[in-house]
Amino acid sequence: MFVYILKRLGLMLFVLWGVTLTAFLISHTLPADPAAAVLGNNAREEQLAEFRQRYGLDQPLPVQYGLYMKGLLRGDLGTSLRTQNSITSDLRQFFPATLEITLVAVVFALVIGLPLGIVAALWHGRWPDLTARIFSLLGGATPVYWLAILALTLFHEKLGWLPGPGRLDSYSLPPPVHTGLVSVDALLAGDRQVFVDALRHLILPGLVLGAYSAALLTRMTRSALLEVLSQDYVRTARAKGLKRSRVISKHALRNAALPLLTVFGGLFGGLLTGAVLTETIFSWPGIGGYATTSAISLDFPAVMGVTLVAGLAYSVVNLLVDLAYAFFDPRISYR
Amino acid sequence: MNLIPSRTALSRILMCTALLGAGLAGAQRQNTLVVGGDFSDLVTLDPGVAYEFSGSLILGNIYDTLVAYEGNNLKTLRPRLASSWSVAQTGTGSRITFKLRDAKFSTGRPVTAADVVYSLERVINLKTPSSFLLTDVANLKVGSVTAPDAKTVVMDIPKTANPNIVLALLTFNVGGIVDSTEAKAHIQNGDYGSAWLKNHSAGSGPFKLNRWDQSAQVALDVNPNAFRRSTTIKRVILRYMQESAAQQTALNSGEIDVAWDYTPDAFKAAQTNPNLKALKTDTFTMAYLGMNSAKGSVFEDARVRQAVRYAIDQDGIVKSLLQGLALKTQTIIPLGMAGSTSRISYPYDPAKAKALLRAAGKPDGFSVDMQIGTGACPGGVPCQDLAAKLQSDLAKVGIKVNIRQSVTSEMLTAYRAQKTSLILMYWGPDYPDADGNGTPLADYGAKSLAWRNAWNNPQASQLAQAAATETNQAKRVNLYAQLNKLMVDEGPYAVLYQPNKPVVTSKNVTGFVRDANGNVQFERVSKK
Repeated sequence: MFVYILKRLGLMLFVLWGVTLTAFLISHTLPADPAAAVLGNNAREEQLAEFRQRYGLDQPLPVQYGLYMKGLLRGDLGTSLRTQNSITSDLRQFFPATLEITLVAVVFALVIGLPLGIVAALWHGRWPDLTARIFSLLGGATPVYWLAILALTLFHEKLGWLPGPGRLDSYSLPPPVHTGLVSVDALLAGDRQVFVDALRHLILPGLVLGAYSAALLTRMTRSALLEVLSQDYVRTARAKGLKRSRVISKHALRNAALPLLTVFGGLFGGLLTGAVLTETIFSWPGIGGYATTSAISLDFPAVMGVTLVAGLAYSVVNLLVDLAYAFFDPRISYR
Repeated sequence: MNLIPSRTALSRILMCTALLGAGLAGAQRQNTLVVGGDFSDLVTLDPGVAYEFSGSLILGNIYDTLVAYEGNNLKTLRPRLASSWSVAQTGTGSRITFKLRDAKFSTGRPVTAADVVYSLERVINLKTPSSFLLTDVANLKVGSVTAPDAKTVVMDIPKTANPNIVLALLTFNVGGIVDSTEAKAHIQNGDYGSAWLKNHSAGSGPFKLNRWDQSAQVALDVNPNAFRRSTTIKRVILRYMQESAAQQTALNSGEIDVAWDYTPDAFKAAQTNPNLKALKTDTFTMAYLGMNSAKGSVFEDARVRQAVRYAIDQDGIVKSLLQGLALKTQTIIPLGMAGSTSRISYPYDPAKAKALLRAAGKPDGFSVDMQIGTGACPGGVPCQDLAAKLQSDLAKVGIKVNIRQSVTSEMLTAYRAQKTSLILMYWGPDYPDADGNGTPLADYGAKSLAWRNAWNNPQASQLAQAAATETNQAKRVNLYAQLNKLMVDEGPYAVLYQPNKPVVTSKNVTGFVRDANGNVQFERVSKK
């Protein structure tokens, strides 16, 4: 097991190196000039030249890549061309917001998707199944931005049940930053009012972001469970006279969990990086918005930083999923 | 004795507490102004470094400049930190002498002439994106600004710079006066305190920085030491809301008081909403078509360029595309600035355009590529829609336009290399003076827009330079009148429009004035 993890970590490093190389090549072979993008229309020639020189943009590509890798090995992701901050500090600022909304989305996806899928499989072909299938179809086919605007208009503007865009009410100042997760920071500061406010602000964007995943999870749970339920060992278990609830929880669900886990790992990684639209519409200051603004202003170091973090998150989640396999299926062992 | 309060007493206590809470929250709401908008261009709050719209907007409320424009009047300079100033001619150029008023920084220290000298010299030494305003336009060096006593600042400028322009650019945040003691206390690696000032404040303006959460919000608190007193607003919050849809929702629900970036469509709806105030604010931006006039190009002949100007239906663009959110203009100096003119030299006339093309030896017209950017053009209209309108207008006179869309920065690179033929672009001056447009648009030697369009006209260069250094205002305006005429007849631009910026506030907000530079004096705003 330990050797396996080491092996996987080594492989992960290799993958991440590939990510940097690809991202570097794509961003640096674009015909556009980051100096022009950052300094804009009014910038004069001398300013552009000075900018290129300061950030080494006038160096040949291999030299630029070498310099980047040298910094990376020392844990330095470079300086953002646009914000002039170190990429590390920018990521530390934006990543927690995305993580917060993603965690909520995952919880929603699980809380909605799993039971709905189970219900659909158990009442196969009857009305609960139909409802679940309509939900998963709608959830999977509705564009996120449309759902976001709809949810905001209905639950915030018209009904006034939930707060609008942003992480906190306009009139409450954010708590001191410790973790970057506003809800956690509010708890740490002992500010109950801000904590509740933060939680309330998480509901809508979390639901919207989680909707697609919930739909997918419903569908996957349903089909995985249906397949398992028709297996011989389930029939045997039933024939033995085991209670229905025990058959489902012990025999069926446990075996259906494996394919679900794979889907879930993919979902989590996708959520983490795919929150762009939700973040834009909910004015959520996360990595999605940061990535978009950086890409538009050709802020290469920032784009590469985001890509690297996304790659890392994906790899880590996948590793965890693989490890969890062993927990659900003792037949799988790692060497 | 009953120690447990009765049910009614308990509910009364609860009610009182709730009311107290609501009252406090209500007072807080009354005192806080929340502005929602796209502030993603904000990169620093150092007044000597910031060169973006959002930075300028915020810094105008944190820092004071020596002189300033008040409200919407951008033609008359008013005293700010300087209670008075005088301009005198010297052997080498001119000398501006400022007398400082009694003012205090938010740190409690008095504003002295030494602070002024330090603030301007730090910009010169820092070589920031905006320092060319002091070094190249005002021709200032370290040592040009001196402080004979604590209340007097003397600025010596050479003949090559115009004191009127210098005064105008000192109103920009590059002329913001920093508490030098505070800045010096936070110097890291000789950065003049720039890293610290990026997200801290040390100014004498009506507000001071509470906190800037990147991409989330900027919170300003009232500065109790300020001489520009904010009467009711104690806190200003600028919330990042990129989407017009999000701003609409938030404005309608009372989450924000002011929406900074509305689309023309949303603005139209807001105009008929009794709960909102729709403000058509002015800008100095102008959208134009640039025509590359290099030898051998289709636009080399001035008659072809004139034909393009006659062929464009400006009224159609302003009325239907921009929903009236723009001014019709044809000259290079923005309306609202000294030296501008609202004269229309090219009424929409396709027949005349055809005749000009015939005279230029192109009776069957020609085919040309037009570069356009992605996203929105000035005034919030999608560049693609604007380009389609131009394409159909030009097609009517035989000019076949092929639209080439790319990311603005990519297009800009081609433009800078003189590699565009026809380009849909925009320009906003660096400082509120006619020279901010005159030199870049007319003077080929400035290597800016005239150069990018390969249009070299020595007479235009000469006029632009003469107007830049002329200190007599009447003569200066006359020079710009000549330059405007020359550019309209010969220039490489078809000026399309000068957009308004739509700003929507809730109806209880009063005193919200956005000037053409994009600045708002938050201390003049109140909520009823």
